[in-house]
Amino acid sequence: MAAAGGGGAAAGRAYSFKVVLLGEGCVGKTSLVLRYCENKFNDKHITTLQASFLTKKLNIGGKRVNLAIWDTAGQERFHALGPIYYRDSNGAILVYDITDEDSFQKVKNWVKELRKMLGNEICLCIVGNKIDLERERHVSIQEAESYAESVGAKHYHTSAKQNKGIEELFLDLCKRMIETAQVDERAKGNGSSQPGTTRRGVQIIDDEPQAQSGGGGCCSSG
Amino acid sequence: MSLKSERRGIHVDQSELLCKKGCGYYGNSAWQGFCSKCWREEYHRARQKQIQEDWELAERLQREEEEAFASSQSNQGAQSLTFSKFEEKKTNEKTRKVTTVKKFFSASSRVGSKKEIPEVKAPSPSINRQTSIETDRVSKEFIEFLKTYHKTGQEIYKQTKLFLEAMHYKRELSIEEQSEFTQDFYQNMAERMQTRGKVPPERVEKIMDQIEKYIMTRLYKHVFCPETTDDEKKDLAIQKRIRALHWVTPQMLCVPVNEEIPEVSDMVVKAITDIIEMDSKRVPRDKLGCITRCSQHIFTAIRITKSEPASADDFLPTLIYIVLKGNPPRLQSNIQYITRFCNPSRLMTGEDGYYFTNLCCAVAFIEKLDAQSLNLSQEDFDRYMSGQTSPRKQESEAWSPGACLGVKQMYKNLDLLSQLNERQERIMSEAKKLEKDLIDWTDGIAKEVQDIVEKYPLDIKPPNQPLAAIDSENVENDKLPPPLQPQVYAG
Repeated sequence: MAAAGGGGAAAGRAYSFKVVLLGEGCVGKTSLVLRYCENKFNDKHITTLQASFLTKKLNIGGKRVNLAIWDTAGQERFHALGPIYYRDSNGAILVYDITDEDSFQKVKNWVKELRKMLGNEICLCIVGNKIDLERERHVSIQEAESYAESVGAKHYHTSAKQNKGIEELFLDLCKRMIETAQVDERAKGNGSSQPGTTRRGVQIIDDEPQAQSGGGGCCSSG
Repeated sequence: MSLKSERRGIHVDQSELLCKKGCGYYGNSAWQGFCSKCWREEYHRARQKQIQEDWELAERLQREEEEAFASSQSNQGAQSLTFSKFEEKKTNEKTRKVTTVKKFFSASSRVGSKKEIPEVKAPSPSINRQTSIETDRVSKEFIEFLKTYHKTGQEIYKQTKLFLEAMHYKRELSIEEQSEFTQDFYQNMAERMQTRGKVPPERVEKIMDQIEKYIMTRLYKHVFCPETTDDEKKDLAIQKRIRALHWVTPQMLCVPVNEEIPEVSDMVVKAITDIIEMDSKRVPRDKLGCITRCSQHIFTAIRITKSEPASADDFLPTLIYIVLKGNPPRLQSNIQYITRFCNPSRLMTGEDGYYFTNLCCAVAFIEKLDAQSLNLSQEDFDRYMSGQTSPRKQESEAWSPGACLGVKQMYKNLDLLSQLNERQERIMSEAKKLEKDLIDWTDGIAKEVQDIVEKYPLDIKPPNQPLAAIDSENVENDKLPPPLQPQVYAG
């Protein structure tokens, strides 16, 4: 738990965040991350072998962030495996297709599940993808946005095809995760100096002079 | 260099640094003052002695037991019973050790589920020795590695040693407590290095990897699949489950991999080999490495088939398929071991962690798999599970026995043979029919003839007045001139 938070208080240490990507098959999850990490869409020249685990390094206001994006299998038959994927994650991006009402219902299910399992520590983003197909929209903007607000998530509109809204989505999410991590750190900082409050401390004996003679045998032969 | 200047203050006699055996080489406190060669000899001798002693003790105990039995009971049957029990226990122990190694060696050759190898064979003495040699080698590498870090290195070495000693006394505790203790150690070490040693984060990661390698090589034997847990039972359960699911086809799982392409089937075989190899590694990180390599082969296979980067929607089903085909040994034990003793920072966010999570998902899916998750009807699922029918027989044409060309050829030939058989039978039956027809026909003709003969019986009246009778009624016969007589004229 402490390691996943990854929030390094010390300057120079990077935050590392785990973000899970949830959404039914065909809503464009893969296109979304490929557009973000490789800036390519349906391209023959995509260099990456896979789009299921991607990383991105960011610098937000002088704070370094390592983002690890975990894609999840969206088929119905794998739905029960969700908790294995999203445990210890800092953020979740829930993608639906604006032309597909069902995919939005799926998002609602996931939100319920995530809140139940992870509480409010996780930053949720609900993303309506494929806004280039605005004419075929089946999920109303108002409904989606008011729903997002009601569950404490942010709503975004994106188009992986036209590269719209994706950069903002990830940047916003990172900022929110940094905030959460900082709040977390402060809370922990009050309690003890060590971030791992749940862990029992190992006794580390600090006796420099003995260390020298103890390690003498192994180091002198070199 | 800086190391030497640092400890100018300590006076150590040259002789104290030399090997205790006096061979002239330098000794090492890690080897109780011996040089590496002498230490190995000494260690080996002590081990041999221990084995010998154990053997003697066992023999003595057995003798005593036999005597006790002989004196208390005259029943001979009971005596042989205890002895056989003792023997049984011993062989059990032996087989357990051997199967591990066997499993690894048989790994690459096995495709799909295979039966257990309950063969009893004496453990080769090299197994024990190899373990200690490997431990030695890892220790040496660890020390060499730490040397480059000078003072920090010494400190790390000391802490690691202390940790190992502490772990030794915790062996009786539950595995969860041991795991937590180890995790605490990882975390504290990493933090200490960063805050006190001022080691840059990338270096910390490297050192942590080495620490993990060192301690886990040593602890492996005691904390992998420990007897206090039911890991072994779970291993057997999942193994059995996978074996029962041998009929699952790639089509049922919607695996986006076409094994008819030779490169793809090659990748599939490699992925299976990697996942099976996981069991042979001792260090959690090396085990993770096997999973990662397996995943990369899967990605290559998907890429060749689909010519686009694989998403999780493609990856997970394929991984499930690979696990089903490979049936990796001690799957649950390995997963538990990695979860308990891997450096958490690697497991939580790194790429290795992602693939490991997927493997956990694959196992969870296999455990809970039902008719619905394969898009089958409940009856079909039950029939396949009970082994009554196999989906392969039904769709032998659509199904490609992914294994290799030879097997495919075999299936084709079998098909051909069954077709030939059918034709042969048809010919035989037609020939029989023809024969019967012929017989019927002859009978029919005979009968017809008979009928006709019966209907029109052939009455042959005896000739009562032959020839003369013809013109007997001719009254005027007498009036006819006599027939001409031939006359001869002399020429």
